[in-house]
Amino acid sequence: MDNPKMEVSIVQLRGITKRFPGLVANDSINLEVTRGEIHAIVGENGAGKSTLMKILTGLYQPDGGEIYLNGTRVEISGPRQAIGLGIGMVHQHFMLIPRFTVLENIILGSEPARRGVLKDKEARGLVEELCRRYDFKLESQVRVWDLSVGQQQRVEILKVLYRGAEILILDEPTAVLAPQEVRELFVNLRNLKGQGKTIIFISHKLDEVLEIADRISVLRRGRMVGTVMAKETDKRQLSEMMVGRPVFLKTEKSQPRVGEERLKVKDLTVLGNLGRPAVRQVNLTILAGEIYGIAGIEGNGQSELIEALMGLRKILSGQVLIKGQLTSDKSVQEIRALGVGYVPEDRHRRGLILPMMVWENAVLGLHRLRDFSRPTGLNFKNIFAHTNRLVREFDIRLGSVDLPVRNLSGGNQQKVILAREMSRDPGLIIASQPTRGLDIGATEFVHQQLIKAREQGRAVLVVSADLEEVLSLSDRVGVIYNGEIVAEFRPEEVTPEEIGHYMLGTKSLLREGVGA
Amino acid sequence: MRKRSKYLLLEIASPFLAIFFAVLVGALVILAIKKNPVEVYRTMFLFSFRRLDSLAIILFGATPLIFSGLAVAVGFKAGLFNIGIEGQYLIGTFLAALVGFAVKGLPAFIHLPLVILMAMVGGAVWAWLPIYLKVRRGVHEVISTIMLNYISYSLIHFFIAEVFMDKQQGLAPGVGNPLIRLPKIASTALMPKMHGFLSLFGIDLPDHVYLNWFFPLALLLAVGYYFLVWRTPFGYELRAVGQNPAGAEAAGIKPGAVFFKAFLLSGAIAGLTGLSDLLSYFGYMDLDFPRGYGFNGIAVALMGKNGPLGIVLAALLFGFLNRGAEGVQAFVGVPMDTIVILQGVMILSIVVFSEVMGRFIRQQEKKEGLQGSVVL
Amino acid sequence: MFLSELLASAIRMSIPILLAALGAVYSERGGVVNIGLEGMMITGSFWGAVGSYYYGPFGGMILAIVAACLMALIHAIVAVTFRVDQIVSGVALNILAYGAARFASIALFQKATMSPHVDGFTPWNIPLLDQITFLKPLVTNLSPIIILAFLLVPLTHWVIQRTVFGLRLRSVGENPLAADTLGIKVYPLRYSGVLISGVLAGLAGAYLAVEHTGMYVEGMTQGKGYIALAAMIFGNWSPVGAMGAALLFGFAESLSFRVVEGGAIPYQFIKMIPYVLTLVVLAGVLRRTTPPAADGIPYERGGE
Repeated sequence: MDNPKMEVSIVQLRGITKRFPGLVANDSINLEVTRGEIHAIVGENGAGKSTLMKILTGLYQPDGGEIYLNGTRVEISGPRQAIGLGIGMVHQHFMLIPRFTVLENIILGSEPARRGVLKDKEARGLVEELCRRYDFKLESQVRVWDLSVGQQQRVEILKVLYRGAEILILDEPTAVLAPQEVRELFVNLRNLKGQGKTIIFISHKLDEVLEIADRISVLRRGRMVGTVMAKETDKRQLSEMMVGRPVFLKTEKSQPRVGEERLKVKDLTVLGNLGRPAVRQVNLTILAGEIYGIAGIEGNGQSELIEALMGLRKILSGQVLIKGQLTSDKSVQEIRALGVGYVPEDRHRRGLILPMMVWENAVLGLHRLRDFSRPTGLNFKNIFAHTNRLVREFDIRLGSVDLPVRNLSGGNQQKVILAREMSRDPGLIIASQPTRGLDIGATEFVHQQLIKAREQGRAVLVVSADLEEVLSLSDRVGVIYNGEIVAEFRPEEVTPEEIGHYMLGTKSLLREGVGA
Repeated sequence: MRKRSKYLLLEIASPFLAIFFAVLVGALVILAIKKNPVEVYRTMFLFSFRRLDSLAIILFGATPLIFSGLAVAVGFKAGLFNIGIEGQYLIGTFLAALVGFAVKGLPAFIHLPLVILMAMVGGAVWAWLPIYLKVRRGVHEVISTIMLNYISYSLIHFFIAEVFMDKQQGLAPGVGNPLIRLPKIASTALMPKMHGFLSLFGIDLPDHVYLNWFFPLALLLAVGYYFLVWRTPFGYELRAVGQNPAGAEAAGIKPGAVFFKAFLLSGAIAGLTGLSDLLSYFGYMDLDFPRGYGFNGIAVALMGKNGPLGIVLAALLFGFLNRGAEGVQAFVGVPMDTIVILQGVMILSIVVFSEVMGRFIRQQEKKEGLQGSVVL
Repeated sequence: MFLSELLASAIRMSIPILLAALGAVYSERGGVVNIGLEGMMITGSFWGAVGSYYYGPFGGMILAIVAACLMALIHAIVAVTFRVDQIVSGVALNILAYGAARFASIALFQKATMSPHVDGFTPWNIPLLDQITFLKPLVTNLSPIIILAFLLVPLTHWVIQRTVFGLRLRSVGENPLAADTLGIKVYPLRYSGVLISGVLAGLAGAYLAVEHTGMYVEGMTQGKGYIALAAMIFGNWSPVGAMGAALLFGFAESLSFRVVEGGAIPYQFIKMIPYVLTLVVLAGVLRRTTPPAADGIPYERGGE
């Protein structure tokens, strides 16, 4: 680690190229990773990080280039072979089977067995030994659906260790964790490094990368920009390498000019899918002209809260008032008609009808308006005029509005949703994970739009798993834990560390009177 | 825009590939029973297309399939698989027959529409329970409609044999047993044949052809289906719910309500399926009233890709297969059931071909859609 | 005596449903919905009769299994490899099976709707138990297939829960992507689930023709394939649960025969009982069941 260049590279990539229809995801990439180091790979969404790692784990085959392990050239035909070579991947979206136990998840694919019959005792012994050696605290007989996100991640890491991985690839491992959990993860990773494992750490969060990594390689638009020592660089240099131009790291916004109450939630309790309360006694108020952010680890009731606000989920008890009107007996359509714009967390499932055309999606939910529907049928002239206006105003890049919206990039799909929702002049905007999966350009655009909406006097509710995003956008932040808003702050009053305590439930104290 | 038409061409090609594949499999089947496939297919064509009566019989044979195909397609468009057309048209036909023989003294211009209406009501009623069970109880409509098909067979059997059987059939003494059937339908409720109209154009059809006005009615319905699905806000909602109910719901469309309307509509259209036979061919309903139009309707809708024109063409194809098979059975001695195999293979190959083709088209579109934007 | 005879007849009636439902367990635990069970049973009943007619009951079983497996293979190719909607594929398969059986029946027996009489296995008695008067109808004159079917219940449970194959099969039914990243081959496993369901559905059909009826009759499956699917759902995708549900359906059917003898209710209504029961059962229990997470969803590597 002191002088990595002296040692043999455990992984060496030479000229790796991967093309997809319409783009080059990896353009002759060279990379060297030294044994026993933590090597970070950073880049924007879409820079080609995931593709590169999928090539390394055999999920994709490169169109060109060579892979060397310990100086020997290898072809990696699939995940099984990758793990045989000692390469293990910890996916960003956990590849776990919730119904299975921790033990079943870990041994799956490499089961201790005699003549096809599982040897349970031996398996349990192996897994418990692993937990001891690397100091992971896990019960092997618990079902994964009962675990927290941090625990699930540990199962993922154990899966690859169980298979004897020497090289661990972690894809955006901190994206779903609270700051304290990140700390715990880093302890685990340093521990692994201490025992001689090599770790490739993929991220776009520069602070974390600078903290954990020994060396950092930067990808941009499918090309390798360069590799630097973590000690010898800083955030500004890295972000310039990532984006190719100087970046403003702070979102600029003016002081809020707040107006009347647009959303009031009183003692709201909502059931989750399993029939248990997912939102408990939530109170919050959002005023015209402010952005209210909800921070929290995913799965703490955010989705259920938003669905209840939109009328997509039944309210068990409590009240929701939008512009002073009770929504409990209102349909989704009636709630939207009160002037609510909705940017759902899963745009593919909730925000768009992917196989339908762009113009059809541009009026989704508006199609019954008098402008677009006549007694004789749909008014195609107005619908197309409307669509073209949205495309112009939001700079949506597309081949034709008469193609399925599925073909648009994630950023442009999100623009279609935003444009559509803004076109009704909403008094309240509810945006859930509004920049998930978007590249920096599109993220900036979405942020600008939300801030612009606030300046136009709209009330904005933003939910995001990205704490940085919530803190930089919001005028006030509520922290949700286990279905409760456990704390409310102005972002400038707190450190991320402190918010992290609330996100994890280690601290719970609702401070009063932070509102307007 | 020119590229769109290229894709359209590819999409249209897949049914033809499927037909071709099915014809090949059919040839193997025919070879297996030691007959000459070329001769069989040749007979099929000659018998079907060289005779005027055959052509009209093909249209007559296609009529119920256009109705059942449209009924299936309405369901598909809303993301529902109505495999219960079979039961729905039997119930619809029964109600129509009931009103046809029991109500007397109405003028034809009231009686016939009333009978048609009853058929639609019957179909819709029989479609109500499965969609209720789906929306309220989460029971998949495929299983519930199949169960209702079986229940309808027994129910119809009961009503025809035990309750409403015609006891006064004018049989000469000692000549066979009376048929287990309902009384004959009043002449005011019968659908006239098209012979008179066609003879105005110099087309004279023989008496054993039953081509009737339900055929143009079916074509009209196909046109109506097009307007409903592609031109109205309801059709828009139907398609949105069919392709992504969660997304439609978030946009304020109620998937449950759309499911209900779509399925009842599907049932109502299904109810029309048996009328061409009932009101023009038999004139009564008996225990052997033709079955299987519902299942063939699935094939027709899949072949026609749920489009109105495609459905009409697919129904005509099936009409041709049926007529051709009659000829083949009579002249070459190959059992008619060969075409049931042919239909099964066609459904399987059509879904495979359109899936493969659809994926290819999506890939191509993606290539074009991504101008200038980097996406992963 | 009445009760034990009723139970004995219930068990006999439940066998085809049980066998096919066990097949459905394999197929659906592996993530493939199998509406095509009905068609596989039709195929099994016809070829079972053919095999038995020419080569005796054992040959009948073998031929039925092979033929139904071919149908299952078609379902697997269409639904797994080509990723076509599994329900559409299954329904098409049923139409194909119906037509093929009719066609082959004409070709072999010159009659579309039935086969000549065929012989079944020599029935078994369970020693000792057959001495007890009350149990006598239950344990005498048993088809070996009945015993086999009940043995298959614990066997299936053991295979699904305790073997490597079972664990992996369940994994591709729950999360094929996760399984794939662990180097588990998704398609072969899904194929084997579907093919096993073909074996069992074929056996179910053969039992119906060779053991239960003594001949093939067109339409003799009467929707039992669909009912088996409902039984498996009612049994919450578990073999033991499926057995309970199959017995319930078998009981309803045998009860209906008794009622017919009474003559109080028109027999057409009696015939509806299994179908009505299926509807009631599904409407009553469905909310409480949990299908495998990826059941019915085609898997595509690196998919959309």
